[in-house]
Amino acid sequence: MTDLSAPAREPGTPAPRRGADPVKALLHRHRELCETAVDPLEIAAGLEAHGVTDRTAARFRHRDVFSLAEELYARANHHTDAPPAAPPAPAPRTTWAVLTLLPGLLCLATLVALRHTGGQTRLLTAAAGALAVHLSLRAALRRGPLSGPRCPGTALPVCWLVAHALLGEGLLRAALSGGPDTPPTGADWPLTAATLAALALACAPAAWTTHLFRTRTHRRLTASRALEDFATSVRPLLLGTVALQLLAVAALTLLTATLLDEAPALGTTLTLGALLHLSRLLTVHGFTHAPRVILTATALTQAAALAAVFAARLPGLAALATPVETLVTEGTPAALPALTCGAAACVLLLHAARRLTRASAHAHAEARR
Amino acid sequence: MLVRIGLLTEGGYPYVSGDARLWCDRLVRGLGQHEFDVYAFSRSQAEEDEGWVPLPPQVSRVRTAPLWTSEDDGVVYGRRARRRFTEHYAELAAALCTADPAPAGTRSDAGTAEAPGVPHQADRFANALYGLAELAREEGGLAAALRSEAAVRALECACRAPGAQRPAREARVPDLLTVAAHLERALRPLTLDWYEENGLGAVDLCHAASGGTAALPGLLARHFFGVPLLVTEYGVRLRRHYLTRPDSSPAVRSLLAAFHGRLAAEIYRQAAFVTPGNTHARRWQERCGADRTKLRTVYPGMDAAPFAEVGESQASADPHTLVWVGRVEPAKDLVSLLHAFAEIRKQEPGTRLRIVGGPAGPEGEAYLGHCRMLAAQLFPDEAEGPHAVGDNPVSFEEIGGPELPTPADAYAAGAVTVLSSVVEGFPVRLVEAMLCGRATVSTDVGAVVEVIGGTGLVVPPRNPRALAEACVSLLRDPERRERLGAAARARALELFTVEQNIAAFHGLYLETVARTPVRRLPLDRTGVPRPFASPAEAHVPGHWTDPAPRPVPRWAAPEQVPVTEAAR
Repeated sequence: MTDLSAPAREPGTPAPRRGADPVKALLHRHRELCETAVDPLEIAAGLEAHGVTDRTAARFRHRDVFSLAEELYARANHHTDAPPAAPPAPAPRTTWAVLTLLPGLLCLATLVALRHTGGQTRLLTAAAGALAVHLSLRAALRRGPLSGPRCPGTALPVCWLVAHALLGEGLLRAALSGGPDTPPTGADWPLTAATLAALALACAPAAWTTHLFRTRTHRRLTASRALEDFATSVRPLLLGTVALQLLAVAALTLLTATLLDEAPALGTTLTLGALLHLSRLLTVHGFTHAPRVILTATALTQAAALAAVFAARLPGLAALATPVETLVTEGTPAALPALTCGAAACVLLLHAARRLTRASAHAHAEARR
Repeated sequence: MLVRIGLLTEGGYPYVSGDARLWCDRLVRGLGQHEFDVYAFSRSQAEEDEGWVPLPPQVSRVRTAPLWTSEDDGVVYGRRARRRFTEHYAELAAALCTADPAPAGTRSDAGTAEAPGVPHQADRFANALYGLAELAREEGGLAAALRSEAAVRALECACRAPGAQRPAREARVPDLLTVAAHLERALRPLTLDWYEENGLGAVDLCHAASGGTAALPGLLARHFFGVPLLVTEYGVRLRRHYLTRPDSSPAVRSLLAAFHGRLAAEIYRQAAFVTPGNTHARRWQERCGADRTKLRTVYPGMDAAPFAEVGESQASADPHTLVWVGRVEPAKDLVSLLHAFAEIRKQEPGTRLRIVGGPAGPEGEAYLGHCRMLAAQLFPDEAEGPHAVGDNPVSFEEIGGPELPTPADAYAAGAVTVLSSVVEGFPVRLVEAMLCGRATVSTDVGAVVEVIGGTGLVVPPRNPRALAEACVSLLRDPERRERLGAAARARALELFTVEQNIAAFHGLYLETVARTPVRRLPLDRTGVPRPFASPAEAHVPGHWTDPAPRPVPRWAAPEQVPVTEAAR
């Protein structure tokens, strides 16, 4: 195609640097734009941003920029590159790595301090320790992989569940034998402090397993082509994450039991640890409803069991205590929290296996990245 | 006659930091005889925190909604509502994934080229959109549904369906999630509670201050209540979408481009009038399927008062000074201007160049530094005599200093105003120079030719020699300068003042309302209908050039030739 519209030049002036096909040069100049464009209008917008007007298009023997863009679109060889490299998943940060260690260490320190104090000082130590653990726990849940949307209405059930793990076993035993006659310090109402310490320490592995789950899902998400593929590849990942966390909690329970010189309450700690971990995992991914319901239901069940034991002392209501009494005499006092928390954890695991394998559950996390 | 106008803005009018704030404010203040309801979308928390501009009394109500966050109303769909949502969303997704059989711009015969039984893509898109809007209006809970897995699944199905475009077929899971999230953001206007009898149903006409999201409520008001829609676009939203697209995969870009393209087409189809701000915007709108009979170019208005004093007198102009005014950035091509000035100095040694304006952003800052260095290299400092302190013939200044307190003073300082951009939208600085009655030399970019219209010199962009020749010819001919300047001022006063802008919109409002059937009887204070309160309707349903069958005598009807006959 020769440029016939060029004005007649005076002899002697050098010919302009233009080949037989002016569009080819333009195509070369805007090659990237033309090859990645998905429709001619995108090329037209890009050309206009580079200062191409209808009068420029007229030099290429086109009516306007749109028809020029159409020719460019038709002539460019569109290649679909490999998908752009996914942004790397966030690397672990020292901030949250340290923060998640704090509640466990503070809790352990408080428990050790309680062993060596007495009277008024002991009460003050306990109060200061509880406050410190509470604050550090809040800080740990604010940032890092454990941070999530606010989930009002879960704090109370969680407090109850933890308190029950700490005091419940002794209280139940004392209640069944007609007590309790003393505050929770003496021999007939022992505290299972190792459980509390293990749960507080479990914050750190929970953060790491959640981080691992998130980075792995991110990788699976970028690699999968269909939603079904994604779901099937995430399911074992979820189970692995929960198993890893359970292993960590078990190890921590044995460790704290040895440190504090108590019998390890594996059943209570493992089930409660799993329940709390799963509910946090769901909350982090934006599902706040199910954890709230399940945690509240579990706490209510435990409260009802205790209340039934005390209510059985009223005349004529002795039958109320029978189920709990059977459970304790047949098994151990730890069977009640282990059973309730275990059942709740199973329900949440099933729920998580359905919800967290959906791609849309991870869309929010992707968008924030 | 009093018209109640629903002004729809996005990140604009009542907010202090809005884009189109000045224009809308002048429009609302200029039409004090009408009543305005402002429906505004805010773009960010920061914008909301900065507050509103003072509103005149004709603004009777302001309703705002955030576009940057969505509130869940807690409604969970039952089985039937969920099925309804999935159906409509799947239809929407299918309309986006399938190639448009009639490419934009060649729509005139689209209706006939369609295979029977397959609804037109635009209709499909519109039906799905209105279906979703109806669902949101009746049941609520659309925000959560748009984020749900059902939406992503419907998108996946549409992308894998036969007949989907190639980029869509190659969509991966992250692409689907990105598209779903973007659609959720774009469809947020559907979830609002504005579409009620005492909300958008109560206005006489909707005026969208931009296309895209801002026009969506107007589209729905038209669908639900038959409120006519007027769309003003100073920059075409679809084009901006192409330019600001993130570096995402082809699948995402293709699906989102399809969404914005179809939405723009539907807006243009339903609007009573579309008013582009210049010919460039008009060409894009035509390309996107806007009917030419609906297009009315309304130039943006500029306040002529600050330039009146300079425009009336030529006294302060230094005949050997060129002025460039604007924000310094690479698109303004000051390098080319400096080279042109070197050429000018060869022919007119006493000439000076004043570059007035601050840098735009960090890129502009770097560019300004580069230009200063180039100016220092090209032009050595020079002094009047051996004992005077020298000065560079090129000076870089900013408006607001003691020498140039206002833009008008900057234009007044020179005999010729130069514009050297390589990329330009609507050249506001050129119009200011015209209002000041200055002769101008500008490059042929954007809407420059359309604005200047023969009252100034125009040269090709990136051509310093042509720029220099044009400047020299003006510098040597004061009479021509004066003639061109006067003509330019007259043209600017005729076309680009606030008054013409307001008058144009006022006329369009009345025309639109006059063409719309009266939906409710105007009542006076005692509740008695007022006769002649609304104008007689001048509205013919359907388009008069439609190829619809019209009563024709039998003898005049074209003879029906059987298809088999024609095939032989």
